[in-house]
Amino acid sequence: MSKPSDLIQGTLDLLILKTISLEPKHGWAIAKRIEQVSNEALQITQGALYPALHRLEQQGWIRGEWRASGTGREAKFYALTRAGRAQLAKELAQWDRLSNAVALVINMA
Amino acid sequence: MNPRRWLGAMKMRLRTLLHRGRVERELDKELRFHLQQQIEENIASGLPPEDARYAAIRRLGGAEQIKEECRDMRQTAYLEDLGKDLRYAGRALRKSPGFAAAIVLTLGLSIGANSAIFSVIDGVLLKPLPYPHSDRIVRLFFSSNSYPKFPLNPFDFRDFRSRSHSFDSLAAFTRSDVQLSGSGEPVRLAAFRVTAGYFRVLGLGPEQGREFDAKDELPGSGRVVILSDRLWRTQFGAAPDIVGQKITLDSQPFTVLGVMPPGTKHPGNDYHALPYGDSVDAWWPFTFEGNPNQRGSHYMEGIGRLKPGKTPAEAQAEMDALVTEVSREHGRDGGGWHMLVIPLYREIVGADERMLLVLLGAVGLVLLIACANAANLLLARATARQREIAVRMALGAARSRLLRQMLTESLLLALAGGGFGALLALGGVRALVALLPAGFPRVDSIHVNASVFGFTLLVALATGLLFGLAPAMQSSRVNVQQALREGARGATGSKHHQRLRDALVVAEVGLASVLLVGAGLMLRSFVNLLRMDPGFRPDHVLTANLSLPDTEYKTPASALHFEDQLTANLAAAPGVKYAGIGTDLPWTGYDENDGGFLIQGEQPPPGHEFHARYHFASPDYFRALGIPLVRGRFFTGADNHDAPAVLIINSTMARLYWPHRDALGGRVSFEDNPKEKDWMTVVGIVGDVKDQPASGGAEPAFWWPMAQVPLLNGGVMSVAVRSDSDTTGLADVLRREVHRLDPTLAVADVRQMDQIADADLATARFSFFLVGLFAALAITLAAIGTYGVISYSVGQRTHEFGMRMALGAARTDVLRLVLSQGTRLALPGVILGAAGALALARVLRSLIFEVSPTDPLTFAAVGTLVLVVAMVACYIPARRATEADPMVALRSE
Repeated sequence: MSKPSDLIQGTLDLLILKTISLEPKHGWAIAKRIEQVSNEALQITQGALYPALHRLEQQGWIRGEWRASGTGREAKFYALTRAGRAQLAKELAQWDRLSNAVALVINMA
Repeated sequence: MNPRRWLGAMKMRLRTLLHRGRVERELDKELRFHLQQQIEENIASGLPPEDARYAAIRRLGGAEQIKEECRDMRQTAYLEDLGKDLRYAGRALRKSPGFAAAIVLTLGLSIGANSAIFSVIDGVLLKPLPYPHSDRIVRLFFSSNSYPKFPLNPFDFRDFRSRSHSFDSLAAFTRSDVQLSGSGEPVRLAAFRVTAGYFRVLGLGPEQGREFDAKDELPGSGRVVILSDRLWRTQFGAAPDIVGQKITLDSQPFTVLGVMPPGTKHPGNDYHALPYGDSVDAWWPFTFEGNPNQRGSHYMEGIGRLKPGKTPAEAQAEMDALVTEVSREHGRDGGGWHMLVIPLYREIVGADERMLLVLLGAVGLVLLIACANAANLLLARATARQREIAVRMALGAARSRLLRQMLTESLLLALAGGGFGALLALGGVRALVALLPAGFPRVDSIHVNASVFGFTLLVALATGLLFGLAPAMQSSRVNVQQALREGARGATGSKHHQRLRDALVVAEVGLASVLLVGAGLMLRSFVNLLRMDPGFRPDHVLTANLSLPDTEYKTPASALHFEDQLTANLAAAPGVKYAGIGTDLPWTGYDENDGGFLIQGEQPPPGHEFHARYHFASPDYFRALGIPLVRGRFFTGADNHDAPAVLIINSTMARLYWPHRDALGGRVSFEDNPKEKDWMTVVGIVGDVKDQPASGGAEPAFWWPMAQVPLLNGGVMSVAVRSDSDTTGLADVLRREVHRLDPTLAVADVRQMDQIADADLATARFSFFLVGLFAALAITLAAIGTYGVISYSVGQRTHEFGMRMALGAARTDVLRLVLSQGTRLALPGVILGAAGALALARVLRSLIFEVSPTDPLTFAAVGTLVLVVAMVACYIPARRATEADPMVALRSE
């Protein structure tokens, strides 16, 4: 299991943005979803998740809203803003380019 | 970021800043929710509740750190830290009030002085003149090697005007006061005769009515006048129908042609010392009377507005060619004359610009010294706090945070100093304006304004950064281990520090020395000015100006009768020793010349003509003013219209124009082909009187007896009355006698000659006073700096001194050690300062009078003074060094 600190900050942002692109989620749900989808390979700690969420909120790419969660308590649900959607697209393209480039170099023996 | 997103982000930041509490609570809630979810997950996978809780807490990590990181992410941490830094800085400064006060005072004084001088400079030098496109207005002077700025001849001017292509408009003016009579007391008006288009040159136009045109210049016309706004309001009650009305000037009817708008400023003129500003009462046309081929008299001032795109140099080249052309047409060979075309701004501000810039330089130096001092103080403090810094860094404070905090402290001090300085500037400007010599250009445009405050603030911030950064970077580079290990004694291993501080002190002393040399030179020059022989005796002399309108005094004989009667009556009055009348007084800047006259038996140098200042005088004029007779005699009552024509010349004229023989008995003629009756004989040679006290030398001059030659000036004359003792009652005596003879005459400009003399010394006194003030300030600051450094060093070395004395050194040895340390700082400073002063010699030369800028006496005196001051500054710490107790030193080992 790779430690989440191995993830560079930008990648975490990408994961978060992608995760909430389908529907708004709260912090716990985001971390759980990433864990699930990556087959337990990526485990995001609270210490990495919440600062990232706050930064993304400060920059205007996601918007937080307090709602009732399924468990009866209130939780802060994050959703993508329109600018956030554009940013997500940009970061996906960047990731694509990066991973292709890395693959090329690796395959170069 | 696009603007909308940026706005949203800013709103977010503002919200987190303002609703800090709520944001914190929300974060707390979020984290607790997350924890709850984790606990429930743990329980769901089979852990008992207690263990589930602990597992969850362990997994999730420290909440505080997470919160801190989130806070950082919110990027408002910066501002909160700033608030904390400010409070911390405030507390720290309050604990050492002496130090804080020293810095604030140091900075405040120099910033205040800087801003005050800058306000003056802004008003005088930087503000544009109050005419549209004033950069295109130029003054024109006739110029040669011996007379660099000579007035123009009116007919020459007319030729130039019609032939020149460089100017939009060209005009000339000459001072020609008139007497306004009518209801009430007659009033003397300050007036100028101007050619048509004069106002067009300035870019101004009458508020009411119209300007003069070419018709008004024709001989016989010109009985029209344009009034100033102030005159219209005060003398005519702002009558709305003033245009077209007739008023009486010099007993003649003049039609009012127009009124100028308020605030019309006169473009400066030296003669009669009309200060730059709104003091002209009336303008009337100059008419070209007399023989157009008579090109000898020069008394017009030229002014012109250049065509767009033309430079003064181009205009000057064209005018030079015209001068030669016109001269040749009149049978003169040009005689080395050309035209000088100067921008108006330069002409008005001119000499004073130099002085102001030098003052600004001086103030800049003082500011530098103040910064060095402040830097020194802060550096010393930082060194002393090294232990504290080391501890904080060991506890995990970031270097950048510490740096920021020290910077905040410095900026706080700088701003406090700046605020104090701003207050000083306000008061200082008012004080400076009050101290400025009379006639200083553009005094009325000096205010404290927004740009000065901006400048002050800039200076404050720059000094804060400058001296905040250096010590801050120094202290934060301290080796933590070393600092902690050094124990209670504090780090002595800061050789770097010490050297920097020593360098600062040397620089301070050097800069202060430069200022002291400047002040010393100005002092000597001022003393020279005071001791200078004026050429006459200005004490106990009362002067006044009169004008006799030629309608009342139609013949020269009637004017002469008045003059004779007046001088006789005055001389008979009690308390009066001598009374004289002449066309002008010494030291008023009078510079009207006549030229092209003939001297029997002498030839002018090739290509040149004879020129000299011309005046008229009554017999006792010279005695009244105390102008000494060198040879020959003064005029007497016998030199009247029927007697042979005579002349009195001054020593300079005698020396220049009769180089090989005695001028006494020489003959001069003002006609081209003189007959016997046209020759005038020189009967007396008098002492030289300069145009202005600080003029280089006297110009050649001659006097005609008033009895023999009809007055040229339109009846304007000056009266000089010498008393044996007190001149206070004389003014009334003078007025009484004038009005006894003619009640319609106005007695104007009643002044004591001392006052006129004094006013001219004022500029020199002012500069000397200011530079002296700055020099005193500088040397005080340098002394404080030296004291600080030596004192600190002694404090560090107390242990060492104690050891020395325990090992047998006498107290005097220790004293000598400390004093020599001080000398090692002061001496290089003095040498540097001397070198700097020598380098600036050229700049200083223009400000001093009859003193060499490399005067060895001044340099020696300054060097000695600085060394003595440095020694005095070291004395107290030296004494303290000798009081180091050897027992204490030994015990602490």
